Amino acid sequence: MRNRRGLYLILITVFIAAYYLLLGIYLNKLGYYNQESLFFIEKSKVLLDGLGNRLKVMGLTTPILPFYGAFIFARINILLAPVIASAIGTALLFYIMATTLIKRTNDDFYLLLLIALFLLHPGLLYTACSGKSIYMVLIFFYLFFFNIIRFYSSNTTFHISLASICLVILVFCDYKFIWLTLFFIPLVLFISIQSLNLGEKETVFRLYQSFNSPALRRKLVNKTFAIYIILFILPLASVLIFKMLNLTHANDLDYFLDSPYATWAVLADRLSFEQATSFSHYQSSQISALVTASIAIYCPMIIVAIYFFRNSTYQILTIATPFAFVEFLQIKYDKIFLAHEYFLIFLILSLLCIIFRAYSHINQTGVKILLSIIVVFQLFTGYIFMKKSFIAEERDFVKILFNPSPVDQQSENLEIADYINSLPDNAQIMMDDAIAYPVIAFTNNTRRLTLPYQETFLSASEAPEHYVNYILTASERNPLTGYTQLNNKYVPAIKHSDNGLNLQKVYETDNWVIYKVL
Amino acid sequence: MNISIPELLVNDGFITPGDRERIEKFSARSDLSFIKVALNFGYISRKNYERSIINAGYKINPVREEAFDGEVLNKVELSFADAHLALPLRIRKNKVVTLMADPTDRLFIDYIRMTYNLEPEIIVADDLDITWLTHKLLGNDYVKSAVFELLNHDPDSSALITFSTPQMVFFFLILGLLAAGLVLNFKSVTIILNVAMSFFFLIAIVFKLFLSLVGSRFELHQAVSKEEVRNVVEDELPVYTILLPVYKEAKLIKKLIWNLQSLDYPREKLDVKLLIEEDDDQTLNAVRDLDFPAIFEVIIVPYHMPQTKPKACNYGLHFARGKYLTIYDAEDIPDTDQLKKAVTLFNKLPENFICVQSALNYFNRNENFLTRMFTLEYSYWFDYMLPGLDTLDIPIPLGGTSNHFKMENLLELGAWDPFNVTEDADLGVRAYAKGYKVALVNSTTYEEANNEPFNWIRQRSRWIKGYMQTYLVHMRNPVALWKKIGWKGFLGFNFFVGATPVTFLVYPILLFIFLGYVVFNLASIKTLFPDWVLFICIFNLMVGNILMIYVNMMAVFKRRFYELILFAIANPIYWLMHSAAAYMGLYQLIVKPYYWEKTTHGLSKINSATNVIN
Repeated sequence: MRNRRGLYLILITVFIAAYYLLLGIYLNKLGYYNQESLFFIEKSKVLLDGLGNRLKVMGLTTPILPFYGAFIFARINILLAPVIASAIGTALLFYIMATTLIKRTNDDFYLLLLIALFLLHPGLLYTACSGKSIYMVLIFFYLFFFNIIRFYSSNTTFHISLASICLVILVFCDYKFIWLTLFFIPLVLFISIQSLNLGEKETVFRLYQSFNSPALRRKLVNKTFAIYIILFILPLASVLIFKMLNLTHANDLDYFLDSPYATWAVLADRLSFEQATSFSHYQSSQISALVTASIAIYCPMIIVAIYFFRNSTYQILTIATPFAFVEFLQIKYDKIFLAHEYFLIFLILSLLCIIFRAYSHINQTGVKILLSIIVVFQLFTGYIFMKKSFIAEERDFVKILFNPSPVDQQSENLEIADYINSLPDNAQIMMDDAIAYPVIAFTNNTRRLTLPYQETFLSASEAPEHYVNYILTASERNPLTGYTQLNNKYVPAIKHSDNGLNLQKVYETDNWVIYKVL
Repeated sequence: MNISIPELLVNDGFITPGDRERIEKFSARSDLSFIKVALNFGYISRKNYERSIINAGYKINPVREEAFDGEVLNKVELSFADAHLALPLRIRKNKVVTLMADPTDRLFIDYIRMTYNLEPEIIVADDLDITWLTHKLLGNDYVKSAVFELLNHDPDSSALITFSTPQMVFFFLILGLLAAGLVLNFKSVTIILNVAMSFFFLIAIVFKLFLSLVGSRFELHQAVSKEEVRNVVEDELPVYTILLPVYKEAKLIKKLIWNLQSLDYPREKLDVKLLIEEDDDQTLNAVRDLDFPAIFEVIIVPYHMPQTKPKACNYGLHFARGKYLTIYDAEDIPDTDQLKKAVTLFNKLPENFICVQSALNYFNRNENFLTRMFTLEYSYWFDYMLPGLDTLDIPIPLGGTSNHFKMENLLELGAWDPFNVTEDADLGVRAYAKGYKVALVNSTTYEEANNEPFNWIRQRSRWIKGYMQTYLVHMRNPVALWKKIGWKGFLGFNFFVGATPVTFLVYPILLFIFLGYVVFNLASIKTLFPDWVLFICIFNLMVGNILMIYVNMMAVFKRRFYELILFAIANPIYWLMHSAAAYMGLYQLIVKPYYWEKTTHGLSKINSATNVIN
């Protein structure tokens, strides 16, 4: 019976993956792209076809694991690789969650609920069809919390170690999750206190007792410290190693966080925030303590999850941790909008709790009716939250999803790329992929490009006539013009320093200008 | 003198009439003489026995230099002489000069009369001297069998030949190719070598992490529950042989007796053999000087090369009476219920499980840095790695002691290889190759962690050398091994037994490159290793170290040794000691492969409490 259910589950997963793939490819053909997938496409092109030392590109492009996840599919179709990765990855997330579910209950209702959410929830469709790396974040976020909650019942090193490994991967999918460790500090102390063999039941009194007995104090400190270490040493050490590699190969510990050559997020987040805050109707609803309330509205299932665990203090504190984490992100990264990913983690967390507890509730009919209503409500809130998102990519996605018509989001980049593609085969074009990665993503010969990762770039930018035939610069109107050396100020400056240089403007769009080196 | 020794002992108050009755019954059941039972099963101490017979007018003679006649000796069986603590030596004045610990042993006296048709001339001697002389004079065939049995019956499994001809050809071919490659294109070959080493190092460590994770999943699993141990019917328990190979361990004899007495197993069903080498008077005298009853039987192992623990154990096997058998070191403190747990587990398991391995750990873990590191290492090894291997059905390299065997299967396997210095690991693989399985039992034996660095390196060099030997023996025919143990077993064996010494050998080289590059910024290294190679190497080395540290950290959880967790960070230093030991082991593998690097025990100043399990 179980084997048959397992087989059905595989078939359903394959169906869901196919559904995501079809939808993702369709949206992609309609012209939907986002900065992250374009960035990964460009880096994949450099890795596959580029010239020069590609080590830095391979090792320091971040988030590194989602990049590799997309790169795996680059040989199939480089422009669709991120979409394929996200579609398969989200289907895998479904499979992992559904497997956990069917191991616990034979009631197919919950599986149907899960299928409905994965097929219809706009946030999950965004995860699956956008080509973004949210799928990987959600997989390892789920596995991290799954193992933490399993640890409470099994009390084996296995689950805590797996949780730690999942946290490492999570951090390498989205560095911001390193801050999650902060909010586990009080939780681990609480777990240690609870695990002491004391007659007293109340946590405060247990704490008081254990701090006032030298033997218990030593035991408490040792155990708390040991759990911290086993949970956090891997993520912290991995980050340290990665920073060391950044230092040895890019002379900057935080290269992977701060350099636009390493990550798309630096400029994309800044641009998104600048654009949004310049609107007259902008309201700072996200920059407030209301994030928790927004999450409760977005995902009321989390309230049900807390209700299911009402008698398990560990689990409730564990569920509360991501709330503190998201609130912290709002304060720490006050110039970045909270991406939909950080709402989706609550959807996943609540599903995890439902998987663990819902089937064992005494009033199954009531639970099923309640969950059905909540799921329908969440489909709606999922749509609303994306529609009203401050991040353009999210709004665009839901718009094209519900109103499928060709979009010209990348038309200008495509236009420039088409021009570059039409240049003679032996023409060398210099450009700065810090901002021009969307253009490179659409070009068809990376070997003709002179990019900053190459040793010749510096010389080419100082004496272009000896190295390149064309230069792509950002125009004054380009919102990212200040983030590249090859901008509207470059041409007068280089002409001033090199009198013999003769540049001719050969192509121009609103944001880009191509010069021919004569 | 008409009074018999049993009567004398009762009259002197050294044993009670009840004891006498029990000894006589046991003697009749076991074919052991009265005095053998009395002295070896905890009824009377040797000191008291000596007092008793001296008071009765006997004189105890020094006999180790006594002359002997081969013709006379040829007519007596070693086991019979040993069971009666008596030995006919020669004919003098128409009498058979006979050494006897109990001059009133009628059965042996009658045996002399019937065998030689002469009256015996009895020389009363210390039982240990008689045992020493008996084994020295009659044990030649047995010791030869102990050394050559495996070689004669299964030469492919013997480590007598360290490198087989095809292995030599293979190694020299590889060396030749390497040398040629370095001459032709030094840079490229160095890069390939470096990347290969680096990846090998990482894969081996990731494999260990994987095993530990698999093992940690079952850390709360109880193979035998307390309830099952409580339900054991003592009358139904079989005879259990315990082999205690010792060499120059005089300091530990008293401790050993204390630990053995704490075992929760019927005394008369224990068959404890203290295996003392012929030239080890130190230990023999320590046994002689005991002023309380011993509960073991001394077996003297006649001198024969190689002088190794497996040879001693093989010799001891000839005299073992148990259905099951285990080995302990002199300083071991097993959980008191370990034997009962092993019997219970054997009864629960299918027939093809022929060995049960207990966990090993250390009682002196907090003594110094080395003992802490050793404890961490053993904890992860026995609590996580071996259960991991067990779960994945990969051959388990048995631990040095506390492995419990079914006697008949052990004999069928050819017992231990006396030429292999990690005979336990070798036996584990050999058993697996023959289709047998090894199980793990939730019982621990506490040992003394080596607390002295040079002693530690010597011990470890033997272990690593043994792993190399074991690897070479079983990889003489890789295809055959693959067929015998399957792909999982084959890969596991390669990664676990083969890769372990190699990672230790590779580690300092990688560390040197890392330091040369990052700390000293050596230009020559930069030239030889382009950026991408160094990137991979540094990544692998750092990740490898972190993972190994992490695996060690996991180890503290099962046994709640939380205070040791930070010491895991010192693992890279501890690994350097492993590397030193690995190079020493490699050197010895080439120049003296069977040399048994002796570990000195009894250095710990920590008092070991018996590990009573309620």
